[in-house]
Amino acid sequence: MEPRIGVYVCHCGSNIAGTVDCAEVAQFAQGLDSVVVARDYKFMCSDPGQEMIKQDIKELGLNRVVVASCSPTMHEPTYRRVCQEAGLNPYFFEMANIREHCSWVTEDKQMATDKAKALIAAAVRRVYYHQPLETREVPVNPNTLVVGGGIAGIQAALKIADSEHKVYLVEREPSIGGHMAQLDKTFPTLDCSACILTPKMTLVGSHPYIELLTYSEVAEVSGYVGNFKVNIRKKARYVDVDKCTGCSECEKVCPVSLPHEWELKLTQRKAVYRPFAQAVPNAFTIDKRGYPPCRVTCPAGVNAQGYVALISEGKFKEAIEVLRRTMPFAGVCGRVCTHLCETECERGKVDEPIAIRSLKRFMADYELREGREKAPPVELTKEDKVAVIGSGPAGIACAYDLIRLGYPVTIFETAPQTGGLLRYGIPEYRLPNKIVDDEISYVEELGVEIKTNTPVTNLKDVMGRGYKAVFLATGALASQKMGIPNEDAKGVIHALDFLQQVSSGMQVSLGQRVAVIGGGNAAVDAARVAKRLGAKEVSIVYRRSRAEMPAIEIEIEEAEQEEVKLHILVAPVRVLTENDRVNGIECIRMELGEPDASGRRRPVPIESSEFNMEVDNVIMAIGQTVDKAMLPKDLEYTNQGTLSVDSVTLQTNVEGVFAGGDVVSGPADVIKAVAAGKEAAISIDRYLRRVDLKEGRPAPLERVKEVSKEEVEIKSRQSMPVLELGERQDFVEVELGFDEKAAIEEAKRCLNCGVCSECLACIKACEAEAINHDMKDEYEEIEVGNIILTTGFEAFDPTPMYQYGYKRLDNVLTSLEFERLVNSAGPTEGDIVLKDGTHPHSIALIHCVGSRDEKYHEYCSRVCCMYSMKLSHLILEHVPGVQVYEFYIDIRSFGKGYEEFYNRLLNEGINFIRGRPAEITDVAENPEEEGKLIIQFEDTLIGLQRRLPVDMVVLGVGLEAQPDAEAVARLFNVSRSADGFFMEKHPKLDPVATMTDGIFVAGCCQGPKDIPDTVAQALAAAAEVLAMISRGRVEVEASTAVVDERICSGCQICMLVCPYSAVSFDEEKKVCRVNEALCKGCGACVGGCPSHAINLNHFTNEQIMAQMEGMLV
Amino acid sequence: MADMTSFIDEVAATPGGEHIRSCIQCGICSGACPAANEMEYPPRKIIAMIRAGMRDEVLSSSSMWHCLSCYMCTVRCPRGVKPTDIAHTLEYLAYQQGFKVKGTTTPVMYQNFVNSIKGNGRVHEVGIMLRYYLTTNPLAALKVLPVGLSLFFHKRLPLLPKGVKGREDLAKIIQKFKEIEARS
Repeated sequence: MEPRIGVYVCHCGSNIAGTVDCAEVAQFAQGLDSVVVARDYKFMCSDPGQEMIKQDIKELGLNRVVVASCSPTMHEPTYRRVCQEAGLNPYFFEMANIREHCSWVTEDKQMATDKAKALIAAAVRRVYYHQPLETREVPVNPNTLVVGGGIAGIQAALKIADSEHKVYLVEREPSIGGHMAQLDKTFPTLDCSACILTPKMTLVGSHPYIELLTYSEVAEVSGYVGNFKVNIRKKARYVDVDKCTGCSECEKVCPVSLPHEWELKLTQRKAVYRPFAQAVPNAFTIDKRGYPPCRVTCPAGVNAQGYVALISEGKFKEAIEVLRRTMPFAGVCGRVCTHLCETECERGKVDEPIAIRSLKRFMADYELREGREKAPPVELTKEDKVAVIGSGPAGIACAYDLIRLGYPVTIFETAPQTGGLLRYGIPEYRLPNKIVDDEISYVEELGVEIKTNTPVTNLKDVMGRGYKAVFLATGALASQKMGIPNEDAKGVIHALDFLQQVSSGMQVSLGQRVAVIGGGNAAVDAARVAKRLGAKEVSIVYRRSRAEMPAIEIEIEEAEQEEVKLHILVAPVRVLTENDRVNGIECIRMELGEPDASGRRRPVPIESSEFNMEVDNVIMAIGQTVDKAMLPKDLEYTNQGTLSVDSVTLQTNVEGVFAGGDVVSGPADVIKAVAAGKEAAISIDRYLRRVDLKEGRPAPLERVKEVSKEEVEIKSRQSMPVLELGERQDFVEVELGFDEKAAIEEAKRCLNCGVCSECLACIKACEAEAINHDMKDEYEEIEVGNIILTTGFEAFDPTPMYQYGYKRLDNVLTSLEFERLVNSAGPTEGDIVLKDGTHPHSIALIHCVGSRDEKYHEYCSRVCCMYSMKLSHLILEHVPGVQVYEFYIDIRSFGKGYEEFYNRLLNEGINFIRGRPAEITDVAENPEEEGKLIIQFEDTLIGLQRRLPVDMVVLGVGLEAQPDAEAVARLFNVSRSADGFFMEKHPKLDPVATMTDGIFVAGCCQGPKDIPDTVAQALAAAAEVLAMISRGRVEVEASTAVVDERICSGCQICMLVCPYSAVSFDEEKKVCRVNEALCKGCGACVGGCPSHAINLNHFTNEQIMAQMEGMLV
Repeated sequence: MADMTSFIDEVAATPGGEHIRSCIQCGICSGACPAANEMEYPPRKIIAMIRAGMRDEVLSSSSMWHCLSCYMCTVRCPRGVKPTDIAHTLEYLAYQQGFKVKGTTTPVMYQNFVNSIKGNGRVHEVGIMLRYYLTTNPLAALKVLPVGLSLFFHKRLPLLPKGVKGREDLAKIIQKFKEIEARS
């Protein structure tokens, strides 16, 4: 059938005709190929306009229609309907946009007219190739998703749910209520915000048709109108909402306090919290932000934040329990740990790290002083016996973890006493043996059996006695040799032997002059012990620089205080002897060269710099190695001479035999040995339970990303009291430990990086057993037909406006902060007080802060005039005799009863001053201004610059889009206007729909508005949704993709790019096929098809090429 | 009352005057102005008067001559109005259109300053101050005399003017400017 085209040019009043010569354009169109008729008319969308088209279709036999008018988003559906009513397939219609694309964007009439002609020529060419298509309808899922639980979300959800259709209400905070819950009273009626809101909240919580998902966020949205699929992330709350009774016992015992965001940080809350007492759901939430650096860094994973938090609350016994969840060595590690935790401590970025090691020691001291209750024996639930060989820190830590898992454990120790190097390697003045005894006896009390004087050299012996697994932790006790002449001479002692002999009470006689070779802890310990044994002159000879000495810094310092001499960058060349007995050492000076494998700069001898030192004894402390003779046979070793084990599981080459500590790592820190013991315990447990040793082992803890250091006051760490130098004669401990006051002060400096410290005090307190610290984020996929966005606003932060002094001057508050201050449920219970606790005599409120200002927000926030006046009224109610000043530019009291409220305020004696203040300062110019906040401004109605001293200033901050509005807009595919708020489809006629069908907006996420307007919008959105549900089906575009099976190569790229899973593969024919019911006509597959086998109906290549040609001709 | 439209058009057409119509009369300019209380009309009011077409009252006022060019008003203005630039425009218009200004001697100072530069290519302080005080109030010169003497003894105040090189070129530049000014 030959195309017969009608062209209709609309004037749109003067919108188009003002710029485009419509008559000329129509005349031009008349001359185009296949055009039967072309007309222009004032309003083509009006009834007469529509009639004209219908009549022409019938009388002139038109079979194609082009209307040149506004945007298709506005009237394409109108004209399609016109065609349909006249008996024409609606897809025989094409629209040319000569308004938005033409008349509105230029004032040049000639150019506009020319462009209009081109657009029409293009549409005429295109419509020539149009094909009849059938529109399709799909059913609408009757469920609705409401995103955001403020008053808008609450109202919309309730309205839809009341019609007995299911609503999912998602709120990211722990409670619904939004900003309205924070307000005191509402203008202009002054009804209490909580009184009108909380019943609605409760209703939401108990409504049978509402599924409330708090502390949840929408993660992903797919699908289309009527058929959305939404993935919701339910953040781990660590409290079972169904079990929690809201009794708040957990809150009482929680040791972690932080600024209360919901109270605008005017007060503190706990890590386990409920934003406000009327919260819905009335359940607590535990705030976890990740693991603190101290805990993440500790090789053994000791929860330092946990016990530090409890110490800060004076709960010392509970604190040590936290430590004992990981290991038994409070007193040991509290003295000798290398405290990597302190290096990483975030507080160190502010001033100094928390003295974590000293606090750990404090807990042990406290317990020792108060007396420890005997540890209750663990019930042995497992049958498999485990043998641990060696009772040093690694062996004890492993046994400790295994016995608590219920395994019977026996420790075999060669030496007469337990503790390994803790006892024999570390001198008394650093680690008294009674501490080692006590902490090992704690492990024994749990049920671990320790057999001293029992060397084990044959694994088969052990296995034969019924032990199913073995942990080897025998340490590295053999002293390394230097390989210099005469190192076996009389008077040369090895540090470990020396320390061990001293420690076990043997008489060790030293000469007056002692040289210690080495720079590690053993060297420094040996030097200080030598000093204590009476040696007059003790020197440490170390070949690298002081900064590279591996010993703990404080130990080196203390050694220096005790007059141990450091010979840095000096290496011994030979031991000098007389009669086979030491009488000196020959040394050579060194300098630092290139870095070596360890990353430290390699010391290089300086030529001819040899010199002699006269000494009576030489103590070698250059390192220890594993004594293979002491170990069972059959084991494999590394090149370094240590035991070879799997780096993850710590299993040796012999099945069921694990090893850790110095025997594997070579000489290392206590805490690393403890860590190895713990890791082995995990392996042994898995081994005995026949679980894969590697798969599913606990993952390393993830360090918290950001730690707020806002408003942290600089405060140095508590200094450790030490023994006076003169009193350090014998082996009395040098460090004296914190007292209770110092410990609490120190612990209070902790920034609580992870927020919740996982001290687990709440678990004990919770009678409902609602708390579960192991909860994980969960995802739930829901299907809904419609979505309403009610995500609200953020209050403007006036910090960047330096001139108003917010956060710089005391008693300058934002209006939202003041709402909490004046609220009877707020932090001061409604008492309006200044920072110093007194009551103000004068308060000024400033309007338009952040609004009507091109530097911040150009728009008027619409609510500030009214809420400022409301606050003024409340101030008069709360503080009798107070002077209140309102600084305004224009009073906008446009709502029902609003102007009347303004009048009421005028008569209540509020001082209204017209003028935007230029500055708020605390610099007084006269005695009257002393101690006040002075506002400098022009009283514009008088035309005079004035200064007004007041006690308090309330900044009427505007409303702005949520900081993540952009991400949310992208998630839901809605657009935003220039001010950042979500954009409605039409500002007047479609105020709650968006450009994406099935997604609606309501409340302040669409723009600043007051509560009445918000509720009206929410109900409008609910009505839109109910209309959709009620109709039950929705029309979808007929423009779907079609695969030309003759060309399709079956590569299936289209299946990958299709967002609606509408393409499937025909296995028989080896071609792809589009399911029309699922296809949304997005065109992704058309572009993706490498063989051009896919065409999109109504957007065929033919049609688009014709359109372009028409444009260019 | 002068013509209601032409004066604001005139100001809006000058550099810095573009946004004068955006003024919402909030008064932050006058509030921030350190010289507002010296002025006959504060900056906000001057803008209102410009909009009201009060050409004679504005151009004969002392307000703009008190402007210290601290730009506080311009920095604080929420609408992008530039009251400092507008003040300079008004000074220029007042001078060009021969308005007699009451209550300030600043125009005399400016005139002497410009004359000195025209002649020498640089400022001759002694000459400027002498002429300024002779035209305005010779007794007031006594107040600044100690400072002047101190500067003199520190060799910071040469008695005789010293011209720059290439004064002929400077004269050409000034001549060119006058031609352009006459055309516009």
